[in-house]
Amino acid sequence: MDPARRLGRAQIDVFAQLGVSTILLGGIYALIAVGLTLIFGIMRVVNFAHGEFLMLGMYLGFWAFTLLSMDPWFVLFVSIPLFFGIGVLTYVLVMKGVIHASHNVQIFTTVGLSTALQNTALVLWSGDFHTVRPWHALRPIRMLGTAFNLSQVVAFVIALTLTVLLFAFMRFTHTGRVMRATAQDRDAAILMGIDTDRVYRITFALGIAAVGAAGVLVSPLYAVYPTAGLQFVLLSYVVVVLGGLGDMVGALIGSLIVAAVEVAGSYWFGTAWKEIFYFLLFIGVLVFRPAGLFGQRGAENLGV
Amino acid sequence: MARALARHWGALVVFGAAALVPIVVRDAYFLDSLVLILLWGALSAAWNVAGGYAGQVSIGHASFFGIGAYSAALLGARWQQSPWLGMLVGIALSLAAGAAIGYLSNRLKGPYFALSTIAFSQVLLIVASRWRAFTSGSEGIPVPFRPGFATLGLGHVAWVYLALAVAVLYWGIQVWLEHSRFGYRLAGVREDEDAAQALGIPARRLKVIAVTASAALTSVCGTLWAQYVGFVDPFYVFSVDLSVRFALNTIIGGMGTALGPFLGSILITSLETYLRATLSGVKSGFTGIYLIVYGVVLILVVRFVPDGLAGVAGRLRARRARAHA
Repeated sequence: MDPARRLGRAQIDVFAQLGVSTILLGGIYALIAVGLTLIFGIMRVVNFAHGEFLMLGMYLGFWAFTLLSMDPWFVLFVSIPLFFGIGVLTYVLVMKGVIHASHNVQIFTTVGLSTALQNTALVLWSGDFHTVRPWHALRPIRMLGTAFNLSQVVAFVIALTLTVLLFAFMRFTHTGRVMRATAQDRDAAILMGIDTDRVYRITFALGIAAVGAAGVLVSPLYAVYPTAGLQFVLLSYVVVVLGGLGDMVGALIGSLIVAAVEVAGSYWFGTAWKEIFYFLLFIGVLVFRPAGLFGQRGAENLGV
Repeated sequence: MARALARHWGALVVFGAAALVPIVVRDAYFLDSLVLILLWGALSAAWNVAGGYAGQVSIGHASFFGIGAYSAALLGARWQQSPWLGMLVGIALSLAAGAAIGYLSNRLKGPYFALSTIAFSQVLLIVASRWRAFTSGSEGIPVPFRPGFATLGLGHVAWVYLALAVAVLYWGIQVWLEHSRFGYRLAGVREDEDAAQALGIPARRLKVIAVTASAALTSVCGTLWAQYVGFVDPFYVFSVDLSVRFALNTIIGGMGTALGPFLGSILITSLETYLRATLSGVKSGFTGIYLIVYGVVLILVVRFVPDGLAGVAGRLRARRARAHA
């Protein structure tokens, strides 16, 4: 029997499905990208190792599930403080010394970090693809003519909650205000008695905690392997440049745009070609609107 | 003449030694390392033209390497054409691609330029690995070995001298960049673009020319590498790791110096060969451990010796000169 018919009447409305896919995917991309844009906005450093922290988060989700049968949703309670700590450590050991250095030095420091982390994972855990299959990855949810698995839906909800919490933190807490002040004017912030070193440390740690959480959340949805971060980080560069580097609301909108391009591209042209669309979009934006779709002209020269 | 010798004694030692080695040593493994040192050195020198001399730091130079490798491999495997023709096609395509990237990303600086070059190499990777009908997709292309100079089916000794010729040529191009009007103006653009423009230097045009030339030089080595190794794998020739390698050699040796890329290549390629020999028994794979070392070295070098080996040598020389004075 035709497997499509076994599902019963055609219950999947294509456009509703594409729309909801876009939103679910966009929410997860937002959590990945928001850390990248936070680090860029405040520290003026493009973290080329961002994807590797996502990969480490995915491995944490995988090992906790395989060794301890721990559900990725609960691993988050461990992963957030853990990756915050990893972020602080990375900042102190690697980033602190290059924060005032030239762009070339910063680019190659994070590129070197990326290579080292990726291959540490390769040596420790081999290049095999791993999958995480908790019960909710197999539980379909049907709504309004669309179908999804529960992992995807909950990952979206948690990702969105964490992103909103990060926004609230930046907007309403004293530390958040101090961080925004440093982003606006590094020198003025120092004159106001702000400890910028502490600001950078917290910024980097928050960005890493966010991307680590995203890694844990996507572990039931994608294969886990040492270079798994690459596809996501390339995509989050696209998101971040679309929204304007350093612009957190822009990153949210950028995530939705990239998700829409990916979903529509895979539906009409096949999954093999989906990435090419957002890279072309990326090059187009870099060339014609490097400050982002909504950024002011010249914003790309801030700190350059 | 004596002055020129005194200034370039380092290059004389490096290239002279490379020319003498095949006369003394016949060990294929050693000669193989030498060919790779020279080829990686030449590739890094090509990167240096854009990254070091023009300040356009690319992490997507694997694009042009891959274009050169694929042009020759496809023409050779599908239409039995000479790799020299493939090299010319590669140069033409890379000139076009380099000019397009250089022109389009002209306004971009620092991390933005690096990001746009990564994106370009990823687009090429997707095309090469998915367009199965034309490129054989992710399986890659074996390059047929046909003996003879016209088909680049050479022995080890001949390869050493061919790679050496390319290396010396690229070194010469860099030396020219250090002493020519074009090179001085390029250095002005790199150090302060606004000031250079105010002096009437066409900054954008110079940067596009540098990136385009760098692309073509990279492509030539891509063709040679594919013929030498005999296999083109899209996930290798278009990888970010490869692009980083060109930059790493140059940074370790000294960006914007003529000999730097070759010094870096000697160090990194020897390290790779040494680790491969030492760690071949390790189960988890030599590549991983080698690349961890490589990443850590990159972090340490840009942090503590950002002007590289050539820069350190220059400082030592200056100090000695002061002590004598």
